[in-house]
Amino acid sequence: MKVYISGMGVISPAGRGIQSLKNWIRQSGRRIRPLNLFTVSPENLLPVGEVSESFEVLEIPRCHQLAITATQEAMAGSQAPPDAVIIGVTTGGILTTEMHLKNRVSDPKAFANHAVGSVAEYVAGKYHCKGPVITVSNACSSGTVAIKIALEMLRSGQVRRVLAGGVDSLCRLTYYGFKSLQLIDPTGARPFDQDRRGMSVGEAAAMMLLVADEATQDNAVIEILGGGLSCDAYHPTSPHPDGEGALNAMRAAIRDAGISPSDIDYINLHGTGTPDNDLAEAKALTSLFGNNLPPLSSVKGAFGHSLGAAGAVEAVISAISISEGIIPANTGCQTPDRKLGLDPVMAPIAKKVRMVLSNSFGFGGNNAALVMGISREKKPPVSRPKKTPFTIEGSAGITGVGDIKKTMENISAGKDCQGMSPLSEISKFLQPSVTRRLKRLPRMALALALAACKNANLQETPSSVFLGTGWGPLSETYDFLKKLYESDEQFTSPTDFIGSVHNAPAGQVAISLGANGPNITTTGGDYSFEQSLLTASILSEKMDAAFLVIGADEFHETLSPLFDRSVNRDGIRSDGGGAICLKRSDVSSGPKICSLFFENTADNPYIIQTLIGKLGDSREIEKRFGIIMAGIPAAFRQEGERQLHEFLSISDFHQPVIDYRRLTGEFASASAVATALAAEFIRNGKIPASLCDGDNHPLNGKGILIVGFGKFVTAIEITP
Amino acid sequence: MQQLLNELNFKIVETLNLVDVAPDDIDPDDHLIGGKLGLDSIDVLELVMMIEKDYAVKINSKELGAKVFSSITSLAKYIYENSSEIS
Repeated sequence: MKVYISGMGVISPAGRGIQSLKNWIRQSGRRIRPLNLFTVSPENLLPVGEVSESFEVLEIPRCHQLAITATQEAMAGSQAPPDAVIIGVTTGGILTTEMHLKNRVSDPKAFANHAVGSVAEYVAGKYHCKGPVITVSNACSSGTVAIKIALEMLRSGQVRRVLAGGVDSLCRLTYYGFKSLQLIDPTGARPFDQDRRGMSVGEAAAMMLLVADEATQDNAVIEILGGGLSCDAYHPTSPHPDGEGALNAMRAAIRDAGISPSDIDYINLHGTGTPDNDLAEAKALTSLFGNNLPPLSSVKGAFGHSLGAAGAVEAVISAISISEGIIPANTGCQTPDRKLGLDPVMAPIAKKVRMVLSNSFGFGGNNAALVMGISREKKPPVSRPKKTPFTIEGSAGITGVGDIKKTMENISAGKDCQGMSPLSEISKFLQPSVTRRLKRLPRMALALALAACKNANLQETPSSVFLGTGWGPLSETYDFLKKLYESDEQFTSPTDFIGSVHNAPAGQVAISLGANGPNITTTGGDYSFEQSLLTASILSEKMDAAFLVIGADEFHETLSPLFDRSVNRDGIRSDGGGAICLKRSDVSSGPKICSLFFENTADNPYIIQTLIGKLGDSREIEKRFGIIMAGIPAAFRQEGERQLHEFLSISDFHQPVIDYRRLTGEFASASAVATALAAEFIRNGKIPASLCDGDNHPLNGKGILIVGFGKFVTAIEITP
Repeated sequence: MQQLLNELNFKIVETLNLVDVAPDDIDPDDHLIGGKLGLDSIDVLELVMMIEKDYAVKINSKELGAKVFSSITSLAKYIYENSSEIS
């Protein structure tokens, strides 16, 4: 299966539309200017890569507006909706949220588009996408990671058309955050320059409609040939000093594309302009290419670093480079740093470009690389088995009553497990030297990861980490903004900024375990864990090593009731999560898990019938499953119950149904707890009597179906 | 000066949440970064913010930071010489 770019769209500091980027590539020049979007004190004024349009519709955050602008162009030539939407985003609607928090707005409606995951949902809704919607929140490599996931989803044959890309708008969080890390060059980013002092923050959106086709297309069509992901597992913000992870990602991308380094005609560098990043990237490049480096350049001296969008914008630039036969200049660099041993392109070069390598690296030691090129005849890769189930080697959970053991005891005694575990209880097996900088969510993630590994009792430690979180690190985000506002935008906490990044918890897990494989954080409200499991399933089909899938969310006094419509101000405050340590089933035995279904309810009136069709007929469902665990978020109670009722009546399912949020309480990743519980039930071979009208309910070899209802309908199967 | 040293020990423990360190146990001449306390570049930035806020002393470059944060004594000396609030 080959994956082609069928449409592209962009909005960046170069302007609106692909043509604006084409013009820029020919002319070069800096598009970095002093910040205009929001007011800062004169001593805080720094140059940024700002999009000139102001977007007047206030209810729709700037990030969403940028995303939809790029999508309109990418989808312009296409009638049919995409089968899936996968977008890299790091801060979502936070620019609007910051304003509301400053003005002490207390109406949750004002925060309806806050979520990082709401951008992709907005785009999917506008373009009638019925399939899965995945938001990758992997800091500065998000856009590239999103395209890699899309590539694998298309290669698997499950979908034919995926809208993939990245977006981020400027906001105070990243503006002041990177400033507090002393990573901003006050004169604007100068990647690879001997006097470089840092990056410039930017904003942009870039989208691609990617299509799968067995046949080789017309020569003009550009193909995504391969992608590679890795994690440094070294430090929350600093890259590995030798660029080890960057090297692994580039190697993996080139291997995945089935080419060799000498086939690359141009490298679009990550090149942020910070002394350490550029040095690490240079080291990785010389290790891989030796003295045979092709022309290379970073565009971040022209546009700044648009974080989640950067990888997608640069993929678009790479595609233009191929189609137009031109290599962009490494803008901003006056005198290349001789110590780096690189020779960046100083002015645009007209040259035939067949294959491009594009790099993106980010916080949490996340590395991603893509190979794109002119489609050529070659043997398509051997088709892979579809839907490999994975074995649950170990599982863990945290609820209001403690770990999974205590949760099981409570449930068996007929009690619920709502509430919040004390921070000391969550951290009891964690080292104080590790936890001193970690607030609630990263501690949960780390505790869950370690407990799942311990429970798995494997010889190896997992190499990849997939983490789903509905709302990310709320404590860190809140504390950062609070300190900023209380000091009249003079002081912040760099530690809180680093911790506020959605993928910080997964990065901590990787550092603790030395997990240097893909490290991906997904986010999308109540379906974040399901997104994570789906992503893990897509990416891990080829991997022999064990991997972790984690879902966790924290309750935050101020932010949770504003953001999560399922959280009732007066209700019981609950949070927690679950983790499973998985291995491919053909290399291991034990309870199995499979992500079966993930569809968008919008424009999808027959979604329940489609789900039942996927599962087989009613006899098949009765034969396969001994129980259903239904997840109905309070915000969608009415709609969710209707969907469940429809499912039960069409499938004629007469076994017990556990409405698990009544047990766990309301938080976005409750489904991760349900998964950990289901693993326990399967291992025990029965469901506790308290959940089944007083009698122990033997499973008799049958499985458990975990169904999520509401805005999306999802299904996860766990079988003995 | 001694008072400033004691105050800094206390503030470092508090700012960086060094739960298992007693302020009195910190040797003012020990390496602050990569020493016994296990501090790194993020901690330095956090301390930069604290020092700017509490003493109105700016340490806004990596090069300067490396010099100033070599030990608590050097940090105290820098604050003492550059703060208008300490006399």
